[in-house]
This record gives sequence, C-alpha cells and structure tokens, in this order.
Amino acid sequence: MADNNNYRDTTHQSDLSISITPAKAGVGLLFAGGALTMHRILCLSALLMGLFSAVGVYAADAQQSEPVDPGIEGSAIDKSAKEKSDSGGSAFAEWESKYFASSPDNTGPAIEQPIEFPHFRHAGDHDKGGMEINCMYCHTYARRSLVAGIPPVQKCIGCHQSIESVRDKPRIKKLFEYWDAKKAIPWKKVHDLPDFVRFSHERHIQRFIFQLNRPVQEVCGYCHGDVKTMTVARRQKLLSMGFCVTCHEVKHPVTAEGGTPIGDQAYWYSMRKPIIDASGIIKAQGPNDCSVCHK
Amino acid sequence: MSISTLFENYSEYRHIHPVDDVPHNPYKWAMAIDLDACSGCNACSVACYAENNLPVVGREKFAHGQAMHWMRIERYWDEDGREFPDQGARFLPMMCQQCEAAPCETVCPVGATNHTPDGINSQIYNRCIGSRYCSANCPYKVRYFNWWDYPTTDNVWPAEMNQQLNPDVTVRGKGVMEKCTFCIQRVTVAKNDAKTQGRLVRDGEVQTACQQACPTSAITFGNLVDPNSTVHRKWQAQQVELDKDEQTKDMAEGGSELRGYRIYEQLRPFPSVMYMERVRESAI
Repeated sequence: MADNNNYRDTTHQSDLSISITPAKAGVGLLFAGGALTMHRILCLSALLMGLFSAVGVYAADAQQSEPVDPGIEGSAIDKSAKEKSDSGGSAFAEWESKYFASSPDNTGPAIEQPIEFPHFRHAGDHDKGGMEINCMYCHTYARRSLVAGIPPVQKCIGCHQSIESVRDKPRIKKLFEYWDAKKAIPWKKVHDLPDFVRFSHERHIQRFIFQLNRPVQEVCGYCHGDVKTMTVARRQKLLSMGFCVTCHEVKHPVTAEGGTPIGDQAYWYSMRKPIIDASGIIKAQGPNDCSVCHK
Repeated sequence: MSISTLFENYSEYRHIHPVDDVPHNPYKWAMAIDLDACSGCNACSVACYAENNLPVVGREKFAHGQAMHWMRIERYWDEDGREFPDQGARFLPMMCQQCEAAPCETVCPVGATNHTPDGINSQIYNRCIGSRYCSANCPYKVRYFNWWDYPTTDNVWPAEMNQQLNPDVTVRGKGVMEKCTFCIQRVTVAKNDAKTQGRLVRDGEVQTACQQACPTSAITFGNLVDPNSTVHRKWQAQQVELDKDEQTKDMAEGGSELRGYRIYEQLRPFPSVMYMERVRESAI
C-alpha cells in the first residue's frame, strides 16, 4: 500500500519547484541572449524554463491560501469554503465548487447534514474525548458489501437510550425525534463516486483489515481521510481515478512468508507478470484492469 | 491488456498470441453454444436487453440499422425450394466473440476497448470517444453505437421505466460504442466473493443473462482454464483449442465428425465462443 499522503507530498514538491524556477530561468535567458553560437539545446532549455516560470507564477497566483489540516478546529476552513462558494454566484462556479474547487488539500465541499454527527466524539482518540469506536460498528456493511452503509436509527438508539448524560443535548433530542416519528434520518452522501465506477468496500476491507491486519482507522483513512477528527464528515481525498491509481500501480508484495499467495488467492491481477525483487519477495500490481473498476 | 502494457510492448504483444506469453490464470471465460438445442426463441436476446440496460429503439431506428441487440439471433433460410411457411430455417445466436486477439482492440484510438487478464474483451464506456473504428474492424459486426441519447429520447425509457434499469451496468450515453461483455458485472461479483472466501470461482457460479434465460440450455459459460468446468469439457470433447487458427481435427483427411467450430477462425481473432453445428433437420 502506498503512503496515503501521496497526494499532499506531490503538491508540496511542485510548490518547491515553482519557487525555484524563476531564478533558474533568468540565468538561462541571460546565457541564451549572450552568445549567438550557443548550442540549440540550451536555447530550448531556456525557453522551457521561461515557460515553466510563467506557469509557476500563474499557479502561485492561483493558489491563495496555505494548506490547513481540517480537524476539530477545521471550522475555519468550512467557513472559507462557504464564502468561496457564496461569492461564486454563477451556475458554473457552483458546479465547480461542488466537484473540483477545494482547499489545497483537496477537501471536498461542506455538506449540511440533518444532524451534525460528531465523528470525533465517537471514533476519536480517548485523550481527545473520543470513544474510539470501530468504524465498522456503525458502517457495518463495509466488510461485506460494495457500500459502507449508513446505520439505521435503531443503531444510534441502541446505545443512546442508555446514555442519560447527553440526553438533553440538542443533537440527541433531534435524534429521538426521528426515532419517535419512526423516520429515517435523511443523511446526505459525502463520498460520491460517478455512476460508471464500481468500488467495492468489501474487497479493500477484507484485504487490508482482515488479511493484513492493519488498524481499521488507518485503512479507512486511505480514502476517507482523518474522519476521527471531524464533526460532520467531509471528503478529504480527491477520489479521482488518479487517486485510486497511485495505489493500484504500486508493486505490492503478494506472498506471505513462505511463498504462498495471501489467502490462497491468485496474485496474478494484471497482464504484467509479477516481479521478484532482490530479497526474493514476489511483487505484483494491484488490480489495474479498466473493467475492474469501470462498469 | 491493461493500460500499463498498452504503450510499452504493444506491437510485440499483438503478434504473439496471449496464451503463449501470459497464461490466463486463473480465469479464461469462454462459451459453448449448442446450435442443435437452439430453437431460435430469442429469450437470450430479451434477457440481454433486461440485464444490460439496452434501449429498445423501435421499428424506425431498427430499419436504419440502429438496433442495440448485443445478443442477436441470426436466421439462415434453407435453400431447398420450399416456400416461406414450409421453408426451414437455422438459427445462430451471435454476440461478441470475446476474441483473444481482437481486431477491435488494436484500432481503438483511446484504448477504450482492451483485454482483461481473464480473457474478456472489455469495453470502457466513459473512455470511449465514439470513433466507431472498432465496429468497422469487427468481423462479426457485434458492436453497437449509441446514435441517440436514449434515456432522454422520446418513447425509449419513459420516466417510470428507469426503475427497471440494472444499477450494476452503466446507462450509456450518446456517442458511445457498446457490445456484449459476457455479463462482466456478474463475473466481477463472483470473483469478489471468491477472493473474499479465499477460493476460485466455482463452475456454474456465474451465469450470463442469456444462459440463464435459455429454455433449452444451449448456452454454456464458464472458466476454460478449469479442467473440470462444463465449458472446458465441451471444448475438449469437440477438440477445439483456443489458441489455434485451424484445429488439428479439421486438418485430418476428410475433416472431422465432431460438431464444434468457431466462426471466422481463419482470420486469427481466436474467438472465445465455440458453436456446435446443427445435426437435426431444420425447424419448419
């Protein structure tokens, strides 16, 4: 599995190169202007440098704010995103802000939910006031279905009917209103993939949690970000095809120690033959065939 | 073929039959169709319409050759002098043959149609730009082009009929090529289940929609690599081999008594569908 911060790393790298290029380009232009007999390649490189610097300046202008970690204190970023979408006005801006516009770390739009569900309270760390409940306690379908699922109200009530201390909090009151009215809570979808994509929660959960024994919150976090620090969940990763491919193109070790395929399954996912590296570990790409994800 | 190999060894790849270089492991989906059992009832075609969200285009567009029947029953009249009501006919269910060295794959400008490791010629709708080159190059003429935006065209899918669409299959838009996928959505589900349970897909676990609907069980679908699968045993009994452009049995003096054959084998597309010739007299 690739580092889940792949995306952030690359953005930082590009920031760095942007800050350097103008100086380099200037030197290159001086050289090119000075000597007429300069080798053609140098001229080309100077031109390219110039181009890069121009693009860099443009990109630097476009990028306004510093990347901020969303979290419990992430209300500032919520506000800025809201202002951004408010100021847009036109239908295009609205559409853009829904699908593309995001803060530099690709945080998706803030979505208003019927109840502001505090993820940090339920799944967060003990020392930050959280309960460290397993993600799959509520999102119970993730391990056996394509979708992770939203728990029925019954699941909330199952615990909350015996937690008297928070019974008078406004969110809990709202919850019991839905329960008494026998109505489902109309949650809104936060992580939405296009209709032509087939993503299976089951496969990812089964492999990383049940076969490789990785911590649940880390595995969910590969795609969902640091939900345990959020109140209302927000999309933190890009969830574009490029995002998926950053992991699926990496060569993974596919055998357990001793050389048998993990879980007795075939490791031959793609047309590429698995490679054997210096230490004798067989590695193969993740499933990278178009029809695996595109339906 | 996956995207990553597309640019690296493409020309080399096309000239070697995939089976030699990369074994289909652990799956190679294939079909066997018994024409002796086929009664030409069109149930397979209807099942395909239902399973794969195919638009029913209507009489006028059908006449223009814009029908979207992935599975069509071809009809061949007997030329024995009898007139229509008494004239016999033979039927041949024709769908994408999932060629191993598919002519359509080589010509797609954007790599929207490509080979999966388990031997299905996949069609990626959202990648397709509608050049229709694949259709022109297909010897079986089993690729269908969306000339209209069917969900919004009048009288194709009235609003309330959207409810019957299969959520596992994309509803294709205008300007996209499509074709039989061997019900890849069912195959994927079965493969996922098998992987989770740490085993391979069992024979008979996946049924294509046409196979499921066939009243005479003329269609067999399965994993050709698995020596115990029904489809493998049928291919073996008919001595039809996947990676040959002429079968050994046919090269023998006087041909073969066996019924198994593949259509346009000599063009070297190495199709994955084996037909079994009709023995009984034509239907009247």
